[in-house]
Formats: sequence, structure tokens, C-alpha cells
Amino acid sequence: MSAQENPFGDLIREYVAECLPLAEAVLERCLRLERFWDHGEPGDELLLPLKGELHTLKGNSAMMGLTALQGLAHGLEDLCGKLTLQPQLRASAGSLLVRGAGLLVDLIREAETAPATGSEADSYLAEARQFLESSETITERRTDDRRTTQRRTTRDVGEIGRDGAITTLRVDSARLDSLLEAFGEVMIAQAGMRETMRALAPWRRSVGEVANLELSSLALEKTLKRLEGALMQTRLVPIASVFGRFNRLVRDLAQDREKKVRLEVAGGETRLDKTVIDRLSEPLVHLVTNAVIHGIESAAERAQSGKPPEARITLAARQQSDRVLLTVEDDGRGLDPDRILMKARALGVAPTSESPSLEEIYALAFLPGLSTEDQVSSLSGRGVGLDVVARSIRALGGMVQVTSQPGRGTTFVLRLPLTVAVLPSLLVSVGQERYALPLSDVAETVRMAPDMIHEVAKRGMVLWRGAVIPVSDAGQVLGLGGQPRGRRYCVVLRSAARHRGLLVDRLLGHEEVVVKALDPVLGRPPGVSAATILGDGKVACILDTVRLADLHGAELSASRH
Amino acid sequence: MTTLKSETTPPDILAFADALQLGASAAPKTEAERELHLVAFRLDQEEFAVPIAKIREIVRVGDITRIPQAPPHIRGVMNLRGRILPVVELRTRLDLPVLDVTSHSRVLVADAQGRTLGLLVDSVAEVVKVPEKAVVPPPDDILAANAEYIKGVARLGSRLLILLDLDQAVIQGNSNSNSTNAP
Repeated sequence: MSAQENPFGDLIREYVAECLPLAEAVLERCLRLERFWDHGEPGDELLLPLKGELHTLKGNSAMMGLTALQGLAHGLEDLCGKLTLQPQLRASAGSLLVRGAGLLVDLIREAETAPATGSEADSYLAEARQFLESSETITERRTDDRRTTQRRTTRDVGEIGRDGAITTLRVDSARLDSLLEAFGEVMIAQAGMRETMRALAPWRRSVGEVANLELSSLALEKTLKRLEGALMQTRLVPIASVFGRFNRLVRDLAQDREKKVRLEVAGGETRLDKTVIDRLSEPLVHLVTNAVIHGIESAAERAQSGKPPEARITLAARQQSDRVLLTVEDDGRGLDPDRILMKARALGVAPTSESPSLEEIYALAFLPGLSTEDQVSSLSGRGVGLDVVARSIRALGGMVQVTSQPGRGTTFVLRLPLTVAVLPSLLVSVGQERYALPLSDVAETVRMAPDMIHEVAKRGMVLWRGAVIPVSDAGQVLGLGGQPRGRRYCVVLRSAARHRGLLVDRLLGHEEVVVKALDPVLGRPPGVSAATILGDGKVACILDTVRLADLHGAELSASRH
Repeated sequence: MTTLKSETTPPDILAFADALQLGASAAPKTEAERELHLVAFRLDQEEFAVPIAKIREIVRVGDITRIPQAPPHIRGVMNLRGRILPVVELRTRLDLPVLDVTSHSRVLVADAQGRTLGLLVDSVAEVVKVPEKAVVPPPDDILAANAEYIKGVARLGSRLLILLDLDQAVIQGNSNSNSTNAP
């Protein structure tokens, strides 16, 4: 970042970038081993590669002069070696191994900011030594020669692992970001060119150069599309890197709550844009934490309802056309629709219809204030509600839904875009301003006449496909003024619970806009998720349509009192 | 393209280059004659100034897009060669009435607390050198309410320049409005 940084900083960053995923894989393996051993299975197929990985970590740490880490990796490698030779020790060694691997991950993660002093590693190593000494057995002599052959095999495993990386380049993600940013600017310039071409259209016949220019512009557009695709490909990262952290989280949380929980992971190879991956971790941690703490019942409760004592949480990912579907599923007690509805009524945000569908009720859980109260727990102050989860998913251009069967479990479904750089959107105008609405939120657009808006309970309603849907006026919501009845179009927006309408003046057409984040100095305005630069060089806001509708609902209920 | 319209105009470039020149030659001086290099601009009836080192460039005002529900001291955002630049309404900060953009209006592209921001001003006067000792604390009666944004006052012949604390003017307001802006 700054000029005075030494070259060692780069080296250590590279070290962390390389070793952290490896250490996380080690931890993951140890967690699986622990479960194997708990069930009395040997797990030899996991132990072997583990030693190879630890060996690599030891070597890399030694190269960086990180002696504490080198010592820890060495100690763990040693421990694995002993466990390979003495299967009878395994049953009691699981937790020791997991803690060691956890420490390894933590120390590597901190290597850049706060190099390990060694005291933590030392005390762990002392503990490991003690464990081994206390269980020292007569097998020692017999296994000496087997040990040497063992060493040779593990070294081989490590080298094979390294060979596999020849065709892969390690690139600093900041470079990819600046590449993407530059590409975004090219796209904007190109949009400006397209605008000019449109203006030149009348001269196409009479001036040959105009037609030629148009052809070149089309060719450029095609190439840019391909470039975009290639660029997006380079940014895709398997989601396993996020999933990997959850084994430990679930294990620690479950242990803390005296619950037995098994985490199942599927589709870890599914790829998503790095930006999405980076910002996905937090909402996922929140959902999984919720599942362990609130979703899954106590052992006694589970026994009473005839469920297996070990609960299950499933994290799964799969691609569906240009979206990725992520599910977080538990087999716990499920959501209570009556309670949600009761709370929603108390907060004055309940749906207007007499008998709301289950889907509508569950969608309420994502409103601010509805889930928070229950979520406040002793757990590291993570007492945030589902509304925060929903907001961060929406900020990524995604959507979150929940379904539940009382007594059987809860499933959260997150729909995420593959990429966040370009957003297919509908451009609309309201007064003098133009806005981009994510196309994925738009169900339909309807031409309006003044008498089509009805007032029900002080709320504007429109009849759409036989249903009555609430509408809000974009001018009013965005603070621009103007008359709802004067608007010419209604954009029908999809949302988890029900469709809503947004009244606008004009539809300007579909456009793939380049998403640009807003500076925090702008105060995170609700209803605006990002901004973009249009073909004419002017900035337009990208609206967070769901939040916008929520806002409007809140305003109305406030004015009622 | 339209972005070109918001480019620095030639006189501004010259002024800016002059300023850089001055900045470069001003290296070793004694305590007594140390000078401040300032960009002076006008807001309402007063002349204000900020250190030139904080200003990246001075541009004409492009199309400014309003951001719904943004803090009151934010005029909006504008396109600065493909980047989205937040534009701070300094008038609001100093309790002055908001005006329409005129042909004299300029945006100072400034660095404040590690970010790049635009400052909307009525007009830019010039780049000036002021001896450090000519700067005095702001008089009590001057803009008492905005004391936190004002570092001092510099006398320059018969002129009075009010030295703005950019970091305060931009960032502190941000934290204030965050709390009032919460839904």
C-alpha cells in the first residue's frame, strides 16, 4: 500500500496466500479424522496426505523464518507420524489434532500483521509431547523400520501436489480488480459511442463512413462481450474456500451448546465471482450459526420427537444458468409461522391480506426487527437479524428465501449472480432523473392510466393479473415529488413475499450497466445499492428495489400514527 | 464524449502547474519565513482556502446526480473520467444557502482522509502563498457554529482567507448524518 513498505511484506503476503488455503485444508482433514475416530474408523487415507501437507507448511514457514509456525507444523507432522504407527492412540487424539490445526490456521492468518511469538505454539507442543509420552508403548522398537518407508511415501505425496500447479498462475486479486475496473471504463466509453451512433443513424445512407463506423462499432461490441466472458472466468473461485471454514464453526458451536451436529457439504466446486465469495462468508456464517443455536433442538428435545440424536446441517451450492443457488438446510425445529405473524402484527408490518400464505409469512422474517430479538445470544455479539443477511445478499444482486416445515427443519435458499461487475437492468426515468432497476427484480411493466390506481387502507393498489398489488410512487420514495397518478408506467417487481409496483415516468430500455460501488461518505442510502455511468456520461443510481418497497411501507405506517 | 466537458480547463491547468512549481521551490526555509501554499476559493461573500497538497485537480462542474437519502451536505455524485466522485456541498456545511451551479462554479477534487472527494465551490480565485505566521486562530465572532471546520484565518494584504479543515468538513459530517439517516 504505502511506499515505505519493505519487500518482505510482499513475500509474507505471498506466503499467507499460499499457505492459508493449505492450512485450512489441513484443518478440514483433521476435523474429518476426528469424526472418523469418534466412530472407531481408522481414516488412514486421510492421515497420509495430511503429513505431506504439514511437511509443505513446515518447509514454507522455515523459508520465511517463521520459527514458531515451523515448529508447530513439525510437531503436528510428528504427531501424525505417531498416530499412523499407533492406531490405538487415535481415538483419544482427535481433539488435540484439531486444536493444533486450528492454531496453525490462526497463526498463518496473523503472520502478516502479528507474527507469532511462539508462546501459543510452544504450549501446544508441550501438550502434544505430554500426550505422546503418557501413551508411549512397546510398539516403538517394532515400528522403527516401517517409519522410514512411511517418510518416503509422504514426501512423494507432497511433490505430486506441487507438480499439479504448473499450468496455474497465482495472481494478486487486486490486479484482477484493476483489470475489471479498466474494463468497466471501456464498457462505459463504448456505451457512449453507441449513443453517438444512434444520433448518426440518419446519415447512414448518405455518408459511407457512418455505415463503416457502425460496423466497426458492432465488431468491437462483440469482442468486448467475449473479453467480458473471459475476464469473468478468471475471477471465478470455487465456493469450497468459503465452505471450508464451516466444519470448525459448526463443531465449536455445537460443542459449546452440547449438541451433536454433523455438517454436510455439497457442490464445493461451484464457482462464483471472487467479490461474491468474499462477501458471502458473513451472511453464511450468520445463517449457519443461527441453524446450530436456534434451529437445532437440544438432545432431549430431539429424542422426544423421535429424531436421530445427531442433527444435520447441509450447505450446498449448484449453478442454475447464470445464477448460483446456495442452500443452508437444517433438520431442526423449523420456523413457527404463528409467532412470526404475531410479531409482524405487533410491529405493524403484517401483510394486509386476511389469510397470508406461508410463503408470505416466512418472507416477513427478513424484515428489520422480526428476527433480531430471538437472535441475540451470548455468541460473540453476533446478534444481528435476518434482515442484515437479506440486505447483504441483495447488495450482491442476489435474493434470499426461506421455507420451513415445523418440526422438520428450515431451508434458506440464496440465489446469487455469477458476477457482480455487470448488471442487466431496466433503465427508467422519474422526473429529471434516471435509475437502473436490476432486471432480475422486474416481473413485468404495465402502461398506466390515472384511474388504474385504487386506494385501499391509504395505500395505493393496482390490479395486476387478477391480483391486487401495492404500488409505491418512485418520485415519492426517492424524494423527487410529482404525482403518482401522473406516472405513465408501473414496473411490477418480484419479491419473496408478493409482487409490488413502482410507478415511474418513462421506460428507457434494457441495458447492461457496469456496477460501481458508492463511497461510504454518501452514508449508505437505503434504496440505492450502487451506481453506474450511462452512455451519455451521467451517473445513475442502481436501486435496491426490495429495500425501496420496504421503505415506503414503513413511511405509510409511520404517518398513520 | 461528455466526460471531456468536465476536464480541467487550460487556465486552471496553468494555475495548478504554477502552484506545483511554487511547492517544489519552497523547500529549505527558516521557521520564520515558512509559507503555506493554498488554493483560495469563494463561497458566498467569503474567501476560503485549503492546502494545495490536498487538491488533485480543479474541474468544471459536470452533471451531478442526486443520491436519494444521502446526507444533507452531499450534493450528489459526478463522473470523473469513469470514476464516480462524491460531491460535497460546502455551502451546506457552512450554513450557507444552496445555489444553482453557474459558469464560475468549480469542483475541487480533494484528498480527505484517504478518499477522493469533490468539493463544490462558487468559484476558484487563485493559488496563493501565505507566510505561516500570518495565520491566526479564527476570531470568536466568525462563524461560531462552524468553528470545528475552520483551522484559522490568514491575512493576505487586505484580504482575509478562512482556512478550512477538509477532513473535518467532510468526514465528521458523515458520521453525524449516518446516525440521523438510519432507517
